[in-house]
Parts: sequence; structure tokens; C-alpha cells
Amino acid sequence: MRPFSLAWNSWVNREKQMAGDPLPFRGRRMAQLAVSLAFAVVLAGACRDEGSERSADSLVAALESDPGHLNPSITTNGGIHTAAGLLYDGLVALDSTLSPVPSLAERWEILEDGARYRFHLRAGVRWHDGSPFTAADVKFTFDSLLLRFHARTRASMSQALLRIDALNDSTIEFVFRRPYAPLLQQLDVVEAPIMPRHLYRGSDPLRNPANLSPVGTGPYRFVSYSANSEIRYTRNNAYFGALPSLRHVTLRVVPDAATRVIALEAREIDWLFSVPGPDRARLRADPGVRLLQASESPGGSNCITTVGFNLDRPWFRDVRVRRAFAHAVNREQFVERVLFGDGRAADAPISSHIRFAYRTGLPVPGFDTVRAAELLEEAGWKRRGSAVRVAQRVPGLPDGTPLSVGFTVMGTQSTYGELLRAQLRVVGIDLRVIALETVVFAQTVFTERDFDTAIAAYCNGTDPEIGVRRQYVSSSIAPVPFSNMAGYRNPVMDSLFDAASRARDRTERRRLYGEIQALAVRDLPYVWLVETLGTRAHVARCRGFGRSSHFAATARCDP
Amino acid sequence: MSRIRAKLALRGNGTLRSMSAHVLWRRILMIVPTVLGVLLVGFLLIRLAPGDPVLALAGEHGDAAYYTFMRARFGLDEPMATQFVTWVRRIAVGDLGTSYVHGRSATAVILERVPATLLLTGTALCIAIVCAIPIGAFASQRPYAARDLAVSGASLVLYSAPVFWIGQIAILLFALRLGWLPVQGMTDAGSTTYGWPRALDTARHLLLPAVVLATHEIAVLVRVTRAGVVEAMAREHVRTARAKGVSERAVLLRHALPAALLPVITVVGARAGHLLSGAVLVEVVFGWPGMGRLLLAALQARDLPIIMAVFLLTSCAVVVVNLLTDLAYVLRDPRIRLR
Repeated sequence: MRPFSLAWNSWVNREKQMAGDPLPFRGRRMAQLAVSLAFAVVLAGACRDEGSERSADSLVAALESDPGHLNPSITTNGGIHTAAGLLYDGLVALDSTLSPVPSLAERWEILEDGARYRFHLRAGVRWHDGSPFTAADVKFTFDSLLLRFHARTRASMSQALLRIDALNDSTIEFVFRRPYAPLLQQLDVVEAPIMPRHLYRGSDPLRNPANLSPVGTGPYRFVSYSANSEIRYTRNNAYFGALPSLRHVTLRVVPDAATRVIALEAREIDWLFSVPGPDRARLRADPGVRLLQASESPGGSNCITTVGFNLDRPWFRDVRVRRAFAHAVNREQFVERVLFGDGRAADAPISSHIRFAYRTGLPVPGFDTVRAAELLEEAGWKRRGSAVRVAQRVPGLPDGTPLSVGFTVMGTQSTYGELLRAQLRVVGIDLRVIALETVVFAQTVFTERDFDTAIAAYCNGTDPEIGVRRQYVSSSIAPVPFSNMAGYRNPVMDSLFDAASRARDRTERRRLYGEIQALAVRDLPYVWLVETLGTRAHVARCRGFGRSSHFAATARCDP
Repeated sequence: MSRIRAKLALRGNGTLRSMSAHVLWRRILMIVPTVLGVLLVGFLLIRLAPGDPVLALAGEHGDAAYYTFMRARFGLDEPMATQFVTWVRRIAVGDLGTSYVHGRSATAVILERVPATLLLTGTALCIAIVCAIPIGAFASQRPYAARDLAVSGASLVLYSAPVFWIGQIAILLFALRLGWLPVQGMTDAGSTTYGWPRALDTARHLLLPAVVLATHEIAVLVRVTRAGVVEAMAREHVRTARAKGVSERAVLLRHALPAALLPVITVVGARAGHLLSGAVLVEVVFGWPGMGRLLLAALQARDLPIIMAVFLLTSCAVVVVNLLTDLAYVLRDPRIRLR
């Protein structure tokens, strides 16, 4: 500042001497005022008062976007679930093995071979405004909110569910048309947050003021919501579970990923829900920062990044071409170069994190470019000295057609396309990468089915019924995002999924999902690339962070 | 229309001699067809662009019945012409619709964010004007000398560098490395201060994004000022002043610079829209809670009521700024009349 100020004054003085100074005092004073103001602001920044430093009982977490509202029961939007998760509870919670443990429901009984579930609610639970929590809240939440507006709960449960009965204030029953095995995996705070009936009854849930001043039963209570800036919570001292250590949690909206990381390095932020791959090495080297990996997030858990073939296109009707495609893919390179090590090569159609259903030892085609070339030759795709193979007696295609296929990706996943393009070129497949905005991708691939191959992160959820079924059953060939992208039809597959959804016994379900995976590997409508993990980062002074939605409830921080 | 000619007498240097009231009214009324045109084009662009807002709302899963239900709820199942007419009718009574994402009035959602954007863009504009005019005048005194080349080179670099890149570099240097200024936000996280402490906190958070947003404007205005002063210095009235023995400084400040300010005023007015578009990037990089970030999120989610409300507001703002620029022109130069 000083050199600038001196230079300015010297210029003003020199000009003044040269010119008889028509505005002698005003110009200098203006300059000094401007310099002083700038200096004062910078000085203010350098001399932050002690009061602005965070105490040991508060935490600042970064959100990627402004949620808009805080009602997770009317949307599957991951940002809203991330922002609002601390305020609410589900009937059950899921432990680290995805097994249900009591939450708002203290215990439960499974009756009629899984066609009827009876939940006994915890006594003495109150909403943040002091009203008592009852079975009527649960019934209202499902009937009026989740089964109408929560796309995932509606799509997965509404066909099977017959009715929900509140037997008394503390007992509620779910009655299904047929045995329904995955219910307990669908009742945690992400899939089914319970909302207060007394605030939503008789109103339009999409416009209810409680969406912006929410009332829940969760470990934290709402304090304030400053649009596009921050949301503040304080500890719910009447929480029925273990009392959180942190008294205050602030969720700060920082949309730019690089800025979020820098804010953590500058200690303006204590917790990041995700860290971009290129920044992880830098954060690992920072002794004041710790990284965590998790396969779950409110936006979707246990995700497998998957390449789907459009089976309606003549190129992919022959399974040998799909198999050649799979052999040409080096999955380890994707883990290393795209995920920066945070994930694993997928070796089954179901995520390895759903332990009861995941099957090992499947004959998934491994990286083998020689075998890929052989299969393409067998299928009629010949390499006649050119880089790209051409068709020779391939059904549905004129001879000489080049093996040049489109690869539709969301803009955020274009790095997958670049690497896959390089890998497939080795075996004579030309991949044209078509990067689209997320909503346009959904419309192009799932609604219009205007693609050759495409890539999507299929989040399996906590049970194959939630996130795997939709990829394979023929009834999911519909204009619905992240449904049966390949357009795969197999009556055997349909019946296996139906049987797995009915089977109450886990051993039986495990056997059925094993068969499902073997069939999927045989028919290969998809290539399962990588299982992705989310990397969280937090300041080293804090520890004990919990699973995604209630992440701060078990955390504690040093001063 | 009345032909009463209103003498809009101004005190001080009395530059606005006469301007027909009906001319002023005509300019104001021109806002209506201009804004309507912007809205029609904006509506068509958004509705014809691929991307279904209901798909964006539902995210993963969902079923056909859900999409039908939500489309009917938001009126998206109506023909496009019907949607446009309904929407214009609502605007006529001051209703900009309900945001699909926020579930609230688009007006309320936007008005919450307007002050932050006005503060950012207004400060950036002030910084740009305060910095650029002296620097431009400084460079113009010795055309093609070292100082002029240095200023021109710096302007070129500032103008060529993307604003988000300048923002990231500024954050790394001033926030992370030197620790002088905060990285992001409008106030400290969780801050509960009010009054002067809050104003100071906001000023501390404002400085870096405002300076970054001002960089492009500074670059442009420096060039325009410099060119204007060089041109004015060659005019006859300046030669006369010099012949009369007026000092060089007085020649610059009293004779050349005022004449050179006309194009500067034009450029400042014309850059208002550019400043708003630059604010989108700066708001994202610095986590500034303004309207630009809202627009970006609304575009990604195809939240039509929000997008169109922002279009309406910004187009009105640009038209009003252009009108004010015309008025400033008249104020600055008494020979100019609005026709």
C-alpha cells in the first residue's frame, strides 16, 4: 500500500508543480481517502477479532448448492437431503453393514411372511416445537408426502403397499399386497424422513412455510436460513438419542469446488462432503486436515459407474461385440486416472458394499485386447488396415459400415469418455464422445433413447431392490432417468427380481441375487466400470463424524 | 400526448437545457416493448432448449405417473403458447410465478438475492470508475511512452484473463497465502454481529470479489479514457487553452478530461449488462449469495419461473441504465439533445 500511496502522491505533487494545480487540495485528499479506505479494509481483515474464531462446540460444513428448502420428504435431491438430514429421523437407521437399527421405531415385528410390518414407536419423542411425535405423523408422512412427492419411495413402494394403519399413538403397521423384503432398508432418514403432521396437514406441501423453518425430531434444531448463504442449526437438547457434542452447526453454501477446498485450507470451513480428485493429494499433505472415504451419501449410496449399450442399435445386438467392448476396457486405469484412487474396479453388477447380495468370482470379462479383437473379428467387424473396423456381413448393417459409435456422457463425467475412447481405439472401435448437461442427458438417453452407448452412475442404494432392479427388469424400460438404460429384456431376469423382492430369508435373497448377477454377466447389457467412493475432508481438530445424514451428531472438536 | 415542453433546469453548470417531457416519457415507454421482446425470446429459448424441469426435479428413480403428476402441477402439460400467455398475464398483475425448486414466489426468491448482487456490482463499478479514469488520464499524458505502453499492456492482460481465473488467483494469494481477506461468503460463517461490525465484516468479504469483478471494466475504461484524452488533447479548444498559458494539469483536468468522459459514460452504461454476467462467475467463485448464482442453479434445474424473473429484472435494469446513460450524456454535454 505504501509504495502505491507514495507514487500517487508524487504524481499528484509533480503535476501540481507543473500546472499551477487547479484542484490542489481536493485531488490529494481524494487519493488519500481512497488509499486509507482500502488500507483500513485490508487491515480489518488482518486483525480479525477473537470473537470470530470458532469455538470447540461449533462446526462449519460446506454445501455445494443452496437447497432452496429443507423438506426432504418431497424430493430425492441430494443437496436438500444433505442440508436437512440433521433435522430429521427415519423409523430405523442403518448401521455400517446397512443393517436396520432402532431410531424412531424402538422395535418391529415382521408378520405374514413379510407382507405386514408392525413398528412400535419410541415413547416420549417430541418434535422440536414441543409437540408429541405419534404414529399419525408416520402415516401422514407416507400417505401425503413420501408416496406422492418422494420419487424413489413412490416408485419402489407404492405398487406393493396396500395401506398404512396407525393402530394407536405408538404402533403403526405397513400392509403389503405381497411379501415385501426390502422395507427396512427403505425407512432410514434418507429414504423416509418422518415429518410433522401438525404443520403440514391441510396444506400444499410444496409451498408450506415449514419447508423454510423446519421442525423435526433429529439431533439438531433449525435456527436460521439465509438464502444462498448459510443455514444454522443448534443442538436439540431433548434428542432421544445420544446428545451431540457440537452445539452449533453452520452449513455454508460454497458452490465452487476449488473454493471449498481453499476455504478448508484457510480453516473457514471444517467439513467438506466431497473433495475433487486433483485436490486430494494436496489435502493429504496438510497436517491439519483428515480425509475420510464413504460409499454412502444422501444423493445416492453404493454407486457403480456403468456403461450401457443401447440394445435397440444393430451394433450391440450381438453379445460378442458387447463382450469385446468389455474386454477392451482397462478398469484399473479408470480407478487411477479418473477416480484418483478413490474407488475400485467393479467386478459384479451389484456393489460390493451391499454385502449380502454381492457375488464374488463372476466371469466378468477382464482386460484382454487380444480376446477383444478376436471377438470383433468373429462378429464380422474386420480391420482392413484402417484404424477403425468395418462391418462385413453384420446383420442389420451394410458392409463397410465403420464401427464408430456415440458415447453420451454428462458434462461432469466427460473424463470417462476421453479415457474410454483411447482404450477402445486400440481394438479398432471409434468412440464419439457426446457431452451433455445433466438434464439434457436424462432426456436424450432415457426419454428419447437417442444414444449408442452412455455412461451413468447407478447408485445401488442400501438394497438391490432400490437401485439395481431398475437397471434390469423390462418394466423399467420407460422414460425415467436412471432406469433400464440398455433396454434389456429377459423374462427370466424379471422373475428372479420378483422372487428376490418377495423372499424374506436373506440366504434365499442372496442366492437369487447371485443368479441375477450371473445372468447379467452372461448377457452383458452393461459394462460395470468402477465402484465410486465419496471422499470427505475435515479439519484435524474435529473427529468422530458419522454416516452421511447425521454426520455431525457424533462429532467432537478440540478448541 | 401533451406537447408541454418541460424545462428541466439543473442547478450548477446547468447543462440539461431543455428536454421534452414527452421524449422522456417515450423513452420510458420504450422499456415495455423492449422488455416484452426480451421475455418472449427468453421464454422460447428456455422452452425450446432440451432438458425437462420435471426430470431435473425428480432426480433418479421416479415413475411415469410421478412425472405426469408434477407436469400437471406446474402447468407444463399445457401447450407452449398457453403457458406463455398464462405467464404474461401473471406478470401483468405482478406475479412472476412459483419456483419449481424453491416452492415459493419467484419474486420473493429473487428479491432476497438482489441486494447482494447490487452491492457487488455497484462496488465493482465504483472501483472501476475510480481506478480507470485516473489511470487512463495518466497513460494519455505521454502517448506511446513507457507508462502508456505499460498501462496498455496491463489492460490487455486484465481484459484477456478469464474472471474466474483471476478470482482463483486472487483467492490463493490474498486469502490463502497472505491471509488478508476471507476466501468466500458475504460475512463470517455463523456470524451474529449487527451494525458496524457486520458492515465491516461485509466490507472485508466484499473487497476481493468486487476488485476481481472490476478488473475487466477497469481494463476497458482505461483504454477508452486514454483514447478519449489523447483525442481531446489534439482539439482546438485545448490548443487555445494552451496558447492562453493554462497549465498542462489544468488543460488535462478542465478541458481534455471532461470532453473525454462522454465515451466513458457510454461504455459504463453499455457494460452494465456485462457486469451482471460477470457477477455470475464471481458469485460462484467467491460464494457470494447473489442473483447470479441463483440464475446458474435455475438454468441447471430448468426452473423456468426463476429464469424468466431474472431475465425480466436484468433486462429492465439494463434498459433503465441505458436511459440513465442517455440522461447523463445530456447532463455532460449541453449541445446534445434527446430526440
